[in-house]
Amino acid sequence: MVMLRAVRMGLSVALCLSAISCGGGGGGRTSTTPPPPPPAVNTTSVIVDQGPKDASGNVVGSVNTLFTSVTVCVPGSSASCQTIDHIQVDSGSYGLRLLAPVLTLTLPVETLSNGNSLLECTGFLDGYSWGPVALADLTIAGETAKSLPVQVIGDSRFTTVPSTCSGTGGTQEDTVAKFGANGILGIGPFQLDCGNCDTVATNGLYYACATATNCVETLVPTAMQVPNPVTLFAADNNGIIIDLPTVAPTGAVTVSGQLIFGIDTQSNNQSGAQTVLTLDGMAELLMTFNGQTLAQSFIDSGSNGIYFADSNIATCTTTGLTTFYCPANTLSLGLSIQGANNGVMVNNLVFTVGNTETMVTTAPTDTYNVLPELAGTLPAGNAGSFDYGLAFFYGKRVAVAVEGSKTSVGTGPYIAF
Amino acid sequence: MSPMPDNLARRGEPNGAAVLKGVQRITMSIFRSGEFKIAALTSALLIASLGPRIASATLGEPEMTVQSDVAQLRASIKSSQDRAGYRVHEIQLPGGTLLREFVAPDGNVFAVAWNGPTKPNLRQALGKYFDTYVSAPKAKFADRRHVNVQQGDLVVQARGHMRAFSGRAYLASAIPAGVNLGDLH
Repeated sequence: MVMLRAVRMGLSVALCLSAISCGGGGGGRTSTTPPPPPPAVNTTSVIVDQGPKDASGNVVGSVNTLFTSVTVCVPGSSASCQTIDHIQVDSGSYGLRLLAPVLTLTLPVETLSNGNSLLECTGFLDGYSWGPVALADLTIAGETAKSLPVQVIGDSRFTTVPSTCSGTGGTQEDTVAKFGANGILGIGPFQLDCGNCDTVATNGLYYACATATNCVETLVPTAMQVPNPVTLFAADNNGIIIDLPTVAPTGAVTVSGQLIFGIDTQSNNQSGAQTVLTLDGMAELLMTFNGQTLAQSFIDSGSNGIYFADSNIATCTTTGLTTFYCPANTLSLGLSIQGANNGVMVNNLVFTVGNTETMVTTAPTDTYNVLPELAGTLPAGNAGSFDYGLAFFYGKRVAVAVEGSKTSVGTGPYIAF
Repeated sequence: MSPMPDNLARRGEPNGAAVLKGVQRITMSIFRSGEFKIAALTSALLIASLGPRIASATLGEPEMTVQSDVAQLRASIKSSQDRAGYRVHEIQLPGGTLLREFVAPDGNVFAVAWNGPTKPNLRQALGKYFDTYVSAPKAKFADRRHVNVQQGDLVVQARGHMRAFSGRAYLASAIPAGVNLGDLH
């Protein structure tokens, strides 16, 4: 089946190359139909570096965090626009979120049918971000999403966080310093940041605010929820590809690559012979490591390390690093990954675990923002997980297909490489 | 804790029969074990007096303080199970997340764990330990996917990503003898 698909794709590529532009050729027939517009530029650069500067002008400092730039405009305007750098590229979340302190535009806040403003409490594992859902025209590469619902985090007009939001715990991440980025571009395999907020009000996510201090949890029509922005592009909207070069095992100060929109929609985003791993309803898959079957595992550009449980590997002793691994010598370990529903199996993928203390205290790695061997612990247990972060993407071309969308090699949600 | 509104109390009633069976089961198993007889007697009396409103509790607090969690979280009890050395209440939150609360033979909740598309209200589930969790310093290399807090007796560990949150909190000194940490999920 895979072979057949590859052959079919090879044919379509060959046909494409023989015409002046894909879909534009006419085999000698004359036609008055104008040629279709050229495909959008679907590629933008991404970088792993030290991160943005905070409000005081200090670099926030980040490790294995992938950034890009986006341009947002007030809907319908070509003049009221702003390009914002250091937006984190996150395959483990959904939606564009911008930090209000760096946003110079006033974007219109979405209004529910009862006239209330729509606000969101975005939950991250380590905290939450509170702010209005506003509309913006997003441009990234040559792609545009018009009137895209985005979250504005830390908006000074809405400073009272509901107790059911802060009650989800952790840090309120409403400044660049606390968020570690000027915003986040969630381009994971789902369409929306909530699976049931059109039918369940009490998720602690969306709030209707009659005033800035009077907010209650609310249902939200799906069109008003914060979506994966890719799904609103006119084309190239079935997923993304993150293409990063190989980096030295010990790391680098920075690494640059490409974020490509669409899968099998243009000549530069063909699937080829990629291995396709289907994802389950939580965008997770099964990994097998060290005899443990870890059914809640994930590959995630938004994780800054490789996180797993292995009590045989020494953890660090320095305060603040005790949940990270510190083996005496760099370890090469094997991992198997299987798509959801007994899907495709990738056997014995090798990853390496370095000594975190050495990395952060010894030149030159102490100045590196790219640390492919950074690995940390997870609590062991039967509902175990292996979280393979950005290090997975180094030296790979990784496609993330959005749920329900078709490519030449499968139907999303999947991850392929 | 604010008093429970009437409508929330009513919402808990359909679970009453199942919970009562759970109470009988745990009471009997405690008697069978031959331990905690006095405590069990006292608990049984208190539990019986609370009747069908029993549900589950908050970290570090007695099981009887319970149903406040279910009510406050607008949730329902999915199951109550006896396991070797402890009891688990499984609470279904309306958004789809399961919250499990682990009760030691002494009647106190020693751990809570959650798994699902949204985070539970930890202010409710962690009770007096919530502020300790929130004020814990951020670890180096903190990202948006992990929590690893150890503050005194309190341990909070969580991992996941948007639409898939998983974690647990426990009181290290309160874990009953013989309980495997790996089972607390």
